[in-house]
Amino acid sequence: MVLLKNLRPPTEGVRHEQAETSVVMDGHQVGCGTLYIAETRLSWFDGSGMGFSLEYPTIGLHAISRDVSAYPEEHLYVMVNGKLADENGTEMAERPANREEDDRSSSGGEDDDDEDGAITEVRFVPSDKVALESMFSAMCECQALHPDPEDDDSDNDFEGEEYDVEEAEAEHGHADIPTFYTSDEGLSALTQEGHATLERLEGMLAQSVAQQYHMAGVRTEEPSVEFEEGHGETGTAALTPSYLEERPRGTLQIFRAVSVCFVL
Amino acid sequence: TLTQLEGRAIAENSMVVLLQGLQGEVTTVDLRNESTARGRVVNVDAFMNVRLEDVLYRDRRGKLTELQDLFITGRNVRYVHIPDHVDIMKTMQSQLAKIHRVRNFASHGGGRKEYELLDWSLELTHNTLFLFP
Repeated sequence: MVLLKNLRPPTEGVRHEQAETSVVMDGHQVGCGTLYIAETRLSWFDGSGMGFSLEYPTIGLHAISRDVSAYPEEHLYVMVNGKLADENGTEMAERPANREEDDRSSSGGEDDDDEDGAITEVRFVPSDKVALESMFSAMCECQALHPDPEDDDSDNDFEGEEYDVEEAEAEHGHADIPTFYTSDEGLSALTQEGHATLERLEGMLAQSVAQQYHMAGVRTEEPSVEFEEGHGETGTAALTPSYLEERPRGTLQIFRAVSVCFVL
Repeated sequence: TLTQLEGRAIAENSMVVLLQGLQGEVTTVDLRNESTARGRVVNVDAFMNVRLEDVLYRDRRGKLTELQDLFITGRNVRYVHIPDHVDIMKTMQSQLAKIHRVRNFASHGGGRKEYELLDWSLELTHNTLFLFP
C-alpha cells in the first residue's frame, strides 16, 4: 500500500490546484485531497498533512481518460517510470519478476526501474470533470520545463551560434553587418530573386559601357575593355573611380561582392 | 528556462523538425516501455515531447484504452511512425522555412545568414536521412 509522507504543499509556481481529487495508485484507493500542479513537482495532499509528490522527470506520460470502460470515472492518468518509494526508500509495491537483466539491487532508484519497464499508474480523479482540461494543460506546461538532461542521441547538442538580432545590435550598433563574399560564394548564396535582380543591375551597367559618366564625384576616363564571361565586367568598370583603374581585377571583384551584398 | 530562440535552434539542428511537421497527422508513437499510442499529432516540441489527441493507447500487455488527450515525455518516445503519404524532405524544408521566417521577421535584414543556415540544415538532415533508409 501507499505510505504517505508528511510534506507541505508547494506555495510557489502552482499552475493549477484542484481540490476534491481522489487518487488511485496501481489500482489502490489512496484517498481524497487536493492536487497541486506546480512548476517544480506534482504533489497531492489528503488534507491532514499527509501526501506524496512526483518529480516530472519520472513521469512518462499523462492523459485525460474519458473511457469509462477502462476506468469508471473520467480522470487524469499519469504514468510514472518506476515504482514509488516510501519514507525509508524501500519500494512500495513488488517489483515485476522480469529482472534478469538488472543486476543492481537498489531501493527505489528510478533508473533501475526504467530498465525493467516497471511503472506506477496514478489516477487523479477530480469531482469536477470540467477541470480535467486545465489540469492536463498545466501538466503539459510543467513537464516541458523539465527536459531530459541526458539524451541518448547527442544530436541535440547545440554548438553553433544562433543569429540573435538583439545581440548583434548590441555589439555592432546596427542590424546590418556587412561582410564580403568572393564573387563565386556570393552568387551561389543568392536566391532566384537575387539572381534576377543582379542580372538586371548588371544589364543596366552594361548599357553604359560606351559612355563616360560623371557621378557624384566619381569620374571615369575610358571604360575598361576587360571582359569576364557573361558578367558584364565592362559595365561595372564604367562606375569604377579612376584611381582604382590601375588594378581593375581585384577592384572589380570587390565591387561585384558589394553589389551582391546589396541585392541580398 | 528554454527560450523560444533556443527551442528553434535545437529543433532545426535535429530530426525533431521532421516530427514537428507532422502536426495534424494521425500516427503511431511507440514508447520505450513497449506500449503504443495512435492518435492525431497536436504538437511536438524541441525535446520530442509529443502531444496527441483522440488516442488509442495500447499498453504492454495489449490492453486498449481510449484517451482524449495524451502527452508523452520525449524521453519515453522510442519511435514516431511517419505516415506513408508524408513527404519527408518537403516536410522538413517547410518546417525549416517556418523557423527562418520567424527569425527573418525579427531580424529585418539578417536574411542572408538565415539562408546559409537553411542550406546547411537541409544538407545536414538530408545526409542524416541516408542513415535511416
